[in-house]
Amino acid sequence: MDALDPLILARIQFAANISFHILFPTITIALGWALLGFKLAYNRTKDGAWMDAYRLWVKVFALSFAMGVVSGITMSFQFGTNWPGYMEKVGNIAGPLLAYEVLTAFFLEAVFLGIMLFGFSRVPNWVHTTATLLVAGGTTLSAFWIIVLNSWMQTPVGYEIRDGVVHATDWWAIIFNPSMPYRLIHMLIASALTVAFLIAGMSAWRWLKDGGGEGVRRTLKAAVYAAALLIPVQIFVGDMHGLNTLEHQPQKVAAMEANWETRGNVPLVLFAIPDEDARTNHLEVAIPSGASLILKHEAAGVVPGLNDYQGNHPPVAPLFWGFRIMVGIGVAMLALAWFAAWTIRRRGVDAMPRWLAYGLVAMTFSGWIATLAGWYVTEIGRQPWLVTGVLKTADAVGPVGSAMVASSLTLYLIVYAVLLTAYIAVLYRLARLGKAAPNDKPMFPVPTIAPGPAAPQEEPA
Amino acid sequence: MTAFIDPWWLPVIFAGLMGLSILLYVILDGYDLGVGMLTRLEKDENRDLMVASIGPFWDANETWLVLGIGLLLVAFPLAHGLILTQLYLPVVLMLVALILRGVSFEFRAKAAPEHKQRWDHAFFAGSLLTALCQGYMLGAYVLGFDQSFAAVLFCLLAALGLVAGYVFVGACWLIYKVEGDLQKRAVRWAEVSLWATALAMAIISIATPLLSERIFDRWFRLPEIIALLPIPIAAATLFIGLAIFLRRPLRAKDELSWVPLATAGILFALGFVGIAYSFYPYLIADRLDIWQAAASPEALSIILIGALFVLPVILGYSILSHWIFRGKATHLSYE
Repeated sequence: MDALDPLILARIQFAANISFHILFPTITIALGWALLGFKLAYNRTKDGAWMDAYRLWVKVFALSFAMGVVSGITMSFQFGTNWPGYMEKVGNIAGPLLAYEVLTAFFLEAVFLGIMLFGFSRVPNWVHTTATLLVAGGTTLSAFWIIVLNSWMQTPVGYEIRDGVVHATDWWAIIFNPSMPYRLIHMLIASALTVAFLIAGMSAWRWLKDGGGEGVRRTLKAAVYAAALLIPVQIFVGDMHGLNTLEHQPQKVAAMEANWETRGNVPLVLFAIPDEDARTNHLEVAIPSGASLILKHEAAGVVPGLNDYQGNHPPVAPLFWGFRIMVGIGVAMLALAWFAAWTIRRRGVDAMPRWLAYGLVAMTFSGWIATLAGWYVTEIGRQPWLVTGVLKTADAVGPVGSAMVASSLTLYLIVYAVLLTAYIAVLYRLARLGKAAPNDKPMFPVPTIAPGPAAPQEEPA
Repeated sequence: MTAFIDPWWLPVIFAGLMGLSILLYVILDGYDLGVGMLTRLEKDENRDLMVASIGPFWDANETWLVLGIGLLLVAFPLAHGLILTQLYLPVVLMLVALILRGVSFEFRAKAAPEHKQRWDHAFFAGSLLTALCQGYMLGAYVLGFDQSFAAVLFCLLAALGLVAGYVFVGACWLIYKVEGDLQKRAVRWAEVSLWATALAMAIISIATPLLSERIFDRWFRLPEIIALLPIPIAAATLFIGLAIFLRRPLRAKDELSWVPLATAGILFALGFVGIAYSFYPYLIADRLDIWQAAASPEALSIILIGALFVLPVILGYSILSHWIFRGKATHLSYE
């Protein structure tokens, strides 16, 4: 049976692993900085409400971080177990980039996380603040290296092929490859928006229950404002990223727009069922010249079509729909964040209408869906290539048989379903308990250094 | 970018770095996996305390595995693919076990109290399964992925051996980190697991040279045998010495509670040196050596520059973290 082809199974398994993994870094990248913000606000004002917020969200951070670490370890083995051809062909470039991620970022996060989580009464306040800063910096640095590698796979430069193996010729060009800056900024803001809607949604849920107190009001307000400021920036950056993709991977944009012929006055398709066999769209609803206007900034602008890349372009339907899901959520985020920010600014958190709070609760995990949809567009959009123009996905897959991959995939999916359910349940539990969440009993006798958080300390480094 | 040292040395250096990472991983994650398995023997408060004793460290400990496998991946891409496709099933099981173990830390403390028990089970099962899979992989690796019935039996034995080893180092960690009755029981656990570990190391040490002529020659040829004798002699001495040490009552003020842990670390290092000596320069027994498997000298050089700067820093802040959380563990909280 075709569906049980080991290549397809290995791809589904990789997609399952990396989709599950990316959920958690998407939270920790920005949540680290949010925690630093809470901590600095506390250091400045000595207002306990900020520390309440810190204590609650540091637990979410710890849980998300653990989920990210364990699912990330799976990734480093996947290359060998399922995709040995990848490292054999491009290992000379992927290797150093992955090594730098582990060396510069992974350890930094892992070690200082211990101090950040459990060291509050063990180390001077400034050390604790610095640990928070290093963890936030570590997660972001980690994202940087991974995005560099991913972008290089999309738009490879700075290499030569000798004896069938890729060798680096210019590391500067490899790191700052054409799509890297756009993808990095797009992802970092995606993380920030995910966290903003997560904090806003959980806080709104708590507020609906019993008001939640000053800490909840404050985080709700901060999150809504952050979302309202960031979402227009994200839409702008996303547009820039799209134009960059048009320049370097036109077939990906053609699939996103379901545009078959290269021509001017290309409409912006709002709804359609793309048909790759007939090479046309069914039930199309479109705005005339819309795509030309967006992509070329003039109605007559010529936009490349899929028929120029027949046999060498990604599948159309997943890109078309993935892109529309991402953009749709973006627009919903914009509407909700701006309305909520305007309401809160005018009337304060407690005068917010209840339906608005329910709206925020409904959008709690919207960032996850938009981020996943976006990654599906860009990753499926690279097919049939694993590294554009260098290595085809089909040529990298390993010799492991269908039955084996199917079993491991089933096992992963079961574990992931259980963990995701538990994760979301625990998040709501923590939000409900608020600052009364578990683990607040006194701990660790402090051996020699005693200065606790209450004593006024030096400025954080 | 050109290599800044003789390219012949690069694979040697990376094999060394990779070996060091794996050794550190086995000792460091070994103690927290061992503690994970031992939690089954205690309940409630004591169990919480045992988990608390590894809470701030496990994450960084596990990172040595990422580095070790990462170095295999980036420095010896050919071997990474060959080894991991051969070990597909135990690797997948180990990863699932590591996932369960890692998240249980968080869930057991944060989920609703009525679910805590379930996460405790997952924590124990994850720790046990991780150790079993790693032991099995060690066995399969030593035998060059032979699939015969006898080989599988040997792998299962190695799996149990590593469980014993991890329980041993875990018990030594607890002697160092806890007090009172729990510490006394930890001494008892260490006494039992010490002999199981010694037996497992002896079996693997005897089996390996018998299975490969090349390894037999490396060990039992003159004059090497004289130079190598100190390794088994030192191991035997340490095992016996530690057994005697554990039988004596604990010192006042707990002054020497670090001794078992340090001894366990040295024993693991000796075992590791033995295996490394048997294999070097092969990554896969008699089939693929480190020069055949290595990435290009340019790629290795650029990683090495980073590694030389960063590894001392990583070691430094790992020590810092152990220093900050030194002393006896009590209950963990985010305070």
